[in-house]
Amino acid sequence: MRRSLAQSTAEEEEGINLTPMLDVVFIMLIFFIVTASFVKEAGIDVTRPEAATAVPKKKANILVAISANNEIWIDNRKVTPQGIRAQIERLHAENPEGQVMIQADKESFSETLMVVMGAAREAKVSVSIAAVN
Amino acid sequence: MTTRVESLSDLLAQGEDEAEIDLTPMLDVVFIMLIFFIVTASFLNEFGVEGTKPPSVQNVESESKSIAIKIWSTGEITIDGLTIDPRAVSAQITRRRAENPDAGLAVLAGRRAKTALVVGVIDSARAAGFRSNPIPISELQE
Repeated sequence: MRRSLAQSTAEEEEGINLTPMLDVVFIMLIFFIVTASFVKEAGIDVTRPEAATAVPKKKANILVAISANNEIWIDNRKVTPQGIRAQIERLHAENPEGQVMIQADKESFSETLMVVMGAAREAKVSVSIAAVN
Repeated sequence: MTTRVESLSDLLAQGEDEAEIDLTPMLDVVFIMLIFFIVTASFLNEFGVEGTKPPSVQNVESESKSIAIKIWSTGEITIDGLTIDPRAVSAQITRRRAENPDAGLAVLAGRRAKTALVVGVIDSARAAGFRSNPIPISELQE
């Protein structure tokens, strides 16, 4: 009699209670969805200039790269100076919180930097210049 | 009538049996989404200094009070016509700021000036206390 009772309770608890794990998994899922910012990489790697006062820019996720030979890259594509503003506006529409981060090579000319900064100003997006500490 | 009652009770019995929903497919989907978002999560940590391009150069130059740092295409840095070593820029700005605490700052960069120099000057200015606002960078008419 007692044995059969024990057996039946064991059978009842055979299915593991998944609820706590599901809670954890959902919280993780929501966290990763919220933090996912879908950064569009500029497409080229540059040598950043050095700046001791550089601070982390969390919201800067519109990446514009300027190569050492003054080519402008946005979203894995080479962009003409005329096309920068449209590209920045497109990325800004996708991510209204985003700010422009110019990844300018230390050997690039400031002329190109000015062109990109002018385009960002026309698109009314604030700008940071990437640097390493 | 009787058949209907029978079928209803059957239905009820069935409902009781399937009261525990099978969560496995949902779990599968949730896990796949979780893994997708973990993999795509790119925690971008880029360091940078803020800058801005003022609407026109005239505005900057008309402000006689502001400290204008000129970076020439040759790589020379001048403040008020005085050539300054890149490492001494911060000290110069600090000194001029002590003389005139209300002074603004303007960086004027020549067309062929290297970005490294421009960022270096911005860095010096930030080190000298110009941290609150983005530093205006304009084109230097050479």
